[in-house]
Amino acid sequence: MTELTIAIAKGRLQAETLELLKSAGLVFSGEALSSRRLAIEDESGRFRLIFVKPADVPVYVERGIADCGIVGRDVLLESDADLLQPLSLDLGACRIVVAAKNEAAVRPSGMLKVATKYPRIAARHFGARGVAVDLIELSGSVELAAVLGLADCIVDLVETGKTLEENDLGVVDVITESSARLVVNRASYQLKAETVSEFIKSLEKAIRRRGSVD
Amino acid sequence: MNEAAGFLFIVKKPEEIYFSMSKPLSRMPTGMRYYSGAEARLRRAIETTLMSVFDGWSYEEITTPTVDYYSLFERGMGRSQAHHAFRFSDTDGRLLAIRPDVTSLVARAAATLFAERERPLRLCYAAPVFRQQPQSHAEWRRESTQIGGELIGAHGSAADMEVLAIVCETVERLDLDRDSLITLNDVDVFNGIAEQLQLPAEARNEMRELVDTRNAADLERFLVPWSSAEESRAFAQLVQLSGKRKILNDARRVITNPRSQTALDRLERLWSVIESLQLTDSFEIDLGDVAWLDYYTGLTFKIYVKGAGARIGSGGRYDGLTASFGRAEPAVGFVLDLDGLTDVLMGRSHEPGFMRASMQATQPHGERLSELFAAARTKRAQGERVVLNTNEVMQ
Repeated sequence: MTELTIAIAKGRLQAETLELLKSAGLVFSGEALSSRRLAIEDESGRFRLIFVKPADVPVYVERGIADCGIVGRDVLLESDADLLQPLSLDLGACRIVVAAKNEAAVRPSGMLKVATKYPRIAARHFGARGVAVDLIELSGSVELAAVLGLADCIVDLVETGKTLEENDLGVVDVITESSARLVVNRASYQLKAETVSEFIKSLEKAIRRRGSVD
Repeated sequence: MNEAAGFLFIVKKPEEIYFSMSKPLSRMPTGMRYYSGAEARLRRAIETTLMSVFDGWSYEEITTPTVDYYSLFERGMGRSQAHHAFRFSDTDGRLLAIRPDVTSLVARAAATLFAERERPLRLCYAAPVFRQQPQSHAEWRRESTQIGGELIGAHGSAADMEVLAIVCETVERLDLDRDSLITLNDVDVFNGIAEQLQLPAEARNEMRELVDTRNAADLERFLVPWSSAEESRAFAQLVQLSGKRKILNDARRVITNPRSQTALDRLERLWSVIESLQLTDSFEIDLGDVAWLDYYTGLTFKIYVKGAGARIGSGGRYDGLTASFGRAEPAVGFVLDLDGLTDVLMGRSHEPGFMRASMQATQPHGERLSELFAAARTKRAQGERVVLNTNEVMQ
């Protein structure tokens, strides 16, 4: 019987997350991994993985459909979900930054126009500095907004900075660092305490091993 | 039990549906809902069961106003919580709210209406509360029914244990005792540590948040400038885990300030009673539960049930509350979420034991209206359940 359901963020973090879970002792058949199924079980049958969009990980976990989830801190900051965050996973490290064509672009004479996939993070960042902003919410290719003049600057996730560079944008300000985190549902943390803490410990060990190999 | 619950589907032609969508009556505001059929019966049975437990412990039912001054809730719950209320103004311009909470109203009654009554007061209620914004993303309801009890004017372990014993019994009566867990903490464990570390308000909040989200690594890092590395690590580990008596013993080795020690003593006294009652399977000590520090003054507890993604109830000691209404006295209480309990029990494959099977209905007959109703009244007098066929008789 499945003891623990773990929500995995599809995309950027997915491959690294699966590697980490494997080194933490979860075994998945090649057939299950290569299939297009959205929910797979590990060989022991104790763990079930579900693959969802990153922004949906906090939703599944907060409502207790998944007991745990692995997702970037950027997503958590944006979602404001009420979750436990017992472990930082040291993978998928990146920064959330303000980027623009040049420094002068973020000091317009009128309202600062900001394009982003992260409206909450952006609003909090500029709000704390007393800057009035016109937030333009986009769902992808955010860089384009600054290039074409839809916005004065963008707030976005940056891993290597390559996309920014290729579009002639530069980092103006770093809002925060982000890496993957383990999140746990509050009720599961109590009701499945043993399984959850065992899972946390095996992840901790796996992270330490990775650290020593690097 | 899985009867399609709560919704009425009426077959309509597509163009009718299109037009009725634009009519305000066909739409419901978010977070509001109907209960009917099996779900309504279950909900009523849960409420009756819980109120009978309260009655068994001599708690008197109290019905509070649905609408009261906003300032009352602001004082009772704190601004950030009262903020969630639906608000509107009275004829004289004063701000009113539809109650977002019952405890504030009960505390005010204790300080005013029942000021002269003998202590302790034992009061209970089952009442809907309303919130303009749900408390979290996972909670979509804006109307939810709280069933709760307050023991006012009594302090010490006996009063704390009385409330825990009631919680325990309600869970047992609902056949949930094997599927539930009550976690205990005392806010002074945290408060004592924050005091000892001489944390400024902002840092105290940050630490509270790190403990609350069980973020052990960041907590350890946060504590470094404030305490020794060894102490930081030990403390960060401590709030990560919940457990039985061992947690208390571990805590004593790490936490040495007098305020926290007194709190640990209080928890230990309760734990000894729980042990002697052989209830340790239902309880755990969770020193990381620090969600409501500004409201509670001693014991806090949360109730979790399998099948519910969030806690199903919570409570604790709030000795500071009644002072806001002009009479300071100790108090302890708790609330259970009737809607959450209904959801959990609806999801079960079998009907819970506390549900009385509903009686089969019989159909009285009669040629004329007078005969039909005479027959119906006779059956009713005998305690039978009837269902009339109103089309059958001559009009």
